[in-house]
Amino acid sequence: MSLAATLQTKRAVKIRRGLTLPVLLLALWEVSSHTGLVDARFLPSLEDVFLTAKRELIDNNLFGELGFSLFRNIAGFFIGSVFGILFATLLALSRLADALITPTFNGLKQISLLAWIPLISIWFGFGEQAKIVFVAIAAFIPVVLNTYEGMRNAPRDLIEVGHALKFTPLQRIMRIFLPSALPSIATGVHLGLIYSWLATVGAEYFLAVGPGVGGLIIAGRERFDMALVMVGVIILGLVGFILNRLAATVESYLLRWRVSAH
Amino acid sequence: MTLSHFTRRALMAAFALSVLSSSAVAEEPLTINVGYAAIGLDSRPYAEGTSAATARAGEYLEKEFANDPNVKIEWFFFKGAGPAVNEAFANNQLDFAYQGDLPSLIGRANGLKTKYLLASGARKPLYLAAAKDSTIKSVGDLKGKKVAYQRGTNGHLAAIKVLEANGLTEKDIQVINLDSAGTVAALTSQDIDAAFGDTTLINLASKGNARVIYTTKGDDPRFGRNAGIIGREDFIDKHPEITQRVVDAFVKAAQWSSDEPNRAALFELWHKSGTPIPILEDYFSNDKLAYRNSPLIDDLLVSQYEEQGTKAREFGLIRRNVSVEGWFEPKYLKVSLEKLGLQKFWQAYGANGKPLGSS
Amino acid sequence: MSTASKSVSVAPASAQLRRAPRKLLNRRALDRFGIALIVPLGLLLAWWIASSQGWLPEQILPSPAYVSSTALEMVTSGEIFYHAGASLQRVVIGFLFGAAAGLTLGMAMGLSRRVDDYVRPLFLAFAQIPTLGWIPLLMLIFGIGEALKIIVIAKGALVPMTINTAAGIRAVPASLVEVGHALRFSRLQTLRLIVLPGAAPSLFTGIRYGLTHSWTALVAVELLASSEGLGYLLVWGRQMFWLDVVIVAMVAVGAIGFLMDKGLDASEILVQRWKQGEDS
Repeated sequence: MSLAATLQTKRAVKIRRGLTLPVLLLALWEVSSHTGLVDARFLPSLEDVFLTAKRELIDNNLFGELGFSLFRNIAGFFIGSVFGILFATLLALSRLADALITPTFNGLKQISLLAWIPLISIWFGFGEQAKIVFVAIAAFIPVVLNTYEGMRNAPRDLIEVGHALKFTPLQRIMRIFLPSALPSIATGVHLGLIYSWLATVGAEYFLAVGPGVGGLIIAGRERFDMALVMVGVIILGLVGFILNRLAATVESYLLRWRVSAH
Repeated sequence: MTLSHFTRRALMAAFALSVLSSSAVAEEPLTINVGYAAIGLDSRPYAEGTSAATARAGEYLEKEFANDPNVKIEWFFFKGAGPAVNEAFANNQLDFAYQGDLPSLIGRANGLKTKYLLASGARKPLYLAAAKDSTIKSVGDLKGKKVAYQRGTNGHLAAIKVLEANGLTEKDIQVINLDSAGTVAALTSQDIDAAFGDTTLINLASKGNARVIYTTKGDDPRFGRNAGIIGREDFIDKHPEITQRVVDAFVKAAQWSSDEPNRAALFELWHKSGTPIPILEDYFSNDKLAYRNSPLIDDLLVSQYEEQGTKAREFGLIRRNVSVEGWFEPKYLKVSLEKLGLQKFWQAYGANGKPLGSS
Repeated sequence: MSTASKSVSVAPASAQLRRAPRKLLNRRALDRFGIALIVPLGLLLAWWIASSQGWLPEQILPSPAYVSSTALEMVTSGEIFYHAGASLQRVVIGFLFGAAAGLTLGMAMGLSRRVDDYVRPLFLAFAQIPTLGWIPLLMLIFGIGEALKIIVIAKGALVPMTINTAAGIRAVPASLVEVGHALRFSRLQTLRLIVLPGAAPSLFTGIRYGLTHSWTALVAVELLASSEGLGYLLVWGRQMFWLDVVIVAMVAVGAIGFLMDKGLDASEILVQRWKQGEDS
């Protein structure tokens, strides 16, 4: 009873402390934008940001634009993850493929993601395809790295059991490697989701303009509309956060299943 | 390697899809993809100052094919301007495009298979604007300053020519690569000292956020820049009749854009791009509409493109010689002019810039 | 923020590779190296044949001969070093600022529950927004000059550095700290002799991810606004349709990324060896 009470007060303290800075910051923001302490061009008032958000969401169909961004994100993420898992399985299970291809892959992955933009835009032009390819590459790399690691670290005794039971290659993959690599794959897919959201924004910045949150932020900058930029940035963060949570939930669900299965 | 794998898959799927869809419909539907190497204010899908912009806003192409339900016109406007149009041509995503001289020459130097069909937006002036508080008063003052323009566009080449005439090279200034919307933002916030551009700069100056300190308008005509309607060779070879009709539509737009009585209506139409009408009036002041909107591939135009090619090579913008021979395809334009009875409508100019047949 | 907390769980892949005994390594490494070269050489050959036969349009991929002559030209003229130098300088300065700030903040959060309670939620909210999202906002405030680039790069390093430092310090066993108390160490001594060495592996993870993020942020910010650097070279090449220059710039970006990675591996081993030497 008393333990629960102390825990509760501890929690309350934590929440109070956690809220202190944001609330102070918001208050400072509001005061300084109203008293003209800071140029309103750099720091629009909170109402301004709120009204802009309302205008964009309701009048300018921001949800529709967001839908475009998310579609790109999910499509690219899905393609990149599936190919990533297949590719990594090949590398992890075939000694030959590993020796031949892994070094090349490790070399190519050193090229910073955004450096692919010019080649992709020249190879794929201005359509949706170019953006999806870019997002797919972003998801592909962490998925491959983590899946590969996970499969490489599959327990030796399990592999030997598989040999003893004369498993077919497919059985070995399905019953030994995939299950034991699952936590790593989940990590990879989770990272892939984060990177693909980043890449979605990158694609909207650097490839042809089109509807999307990235385009909104760029337009805000060009119009000197700090409120619009802030709305875009907040949405960017929120979507990232939700995707992240979603992935974490799925991940823990999958891993719980794994723990109970063993 | 995985990329190409994926591409192959995607291409195969796309191919299968296109085969399926084309066999399903008896009469082959055709989408004509038309690009424009600029974009309106706040990314509006309109432009201004050229007969191609008139064709877009006045729906000349759409009207031309109004009775062919199988033909669809799709317009694309490029914030990335001419260079982005080249990327689209390389991927066969465009069949025709309005594009400036330098980028189309760059595309040609890189082996893009295109044809130059008619002039549009040729003889455009270039403006130089300085930031509000800067001390720059002339082109010569740009030395060591931060100057913005969009690399690889016809404005880029024109800007270097202006610099050269004032004893400067690109290396003497600090070039900031920005598109026109980015230029406006940077000039307003005085992040840069000056910028080369066109209507956006006049607009900015009219609001007192910059000062126009030089324009090629009224100066040596060779400083100006050119542009035209470029067609993809494959498309032209495959659909010569359609190409003819596309050219017809552009010529009609050019004719309407060249008629002085239409001046006010023309600016009103171009205003769809978001550029205010007084700015357009300024942009065309002292110029005859027929001079700026002529579609003719005359000796002046050809010699200008040749010179742009040589200059671009000289300035290191193109690293291989580019020949314009065989690139100009005036056949369709000629047919249009005859069909519409416009052989005498526009004045042709000789390579020396003098009206042909006047001497 | 889970980008970084995830990062903690992803051990550097090279960690396992280096355990191999020295002597064996030489022969095997040579063999491995040879095999590893098959694919790149094969691709190169295919590329060469495809472009010399005209199967590959040059607007999709220029010939290897053309690309290599461009590369040679850019090396001999020093152009590539000029741009790489500009980029490296930005990364180093930005990273140092970001890492120093991250180290300080992370230490404060790791050492004091109170600070952690106050700062963490706000910090996580800020960290949630990718660097790429911050750039336009920062551009409005700081313009497109050098300050913007340094700030963006520093921000890239700040987040993983802070989170990993805090996590590393938290993970130092309380019993060890108590030993320090028993030995009547001063606060500074405890920090220097017990807490920081204990947190070292986590700090290295922070540095590694910080540097990677900085490098990505650099490319992003140079793509958006710059007049020199490798990112600039990429844009320049794209707009002039110089695929050869684009490819050379990509190779340079990759090579520097690779060298930074190897450099970190090496320094990590050195520090660990030094630590072990000191322990024994």
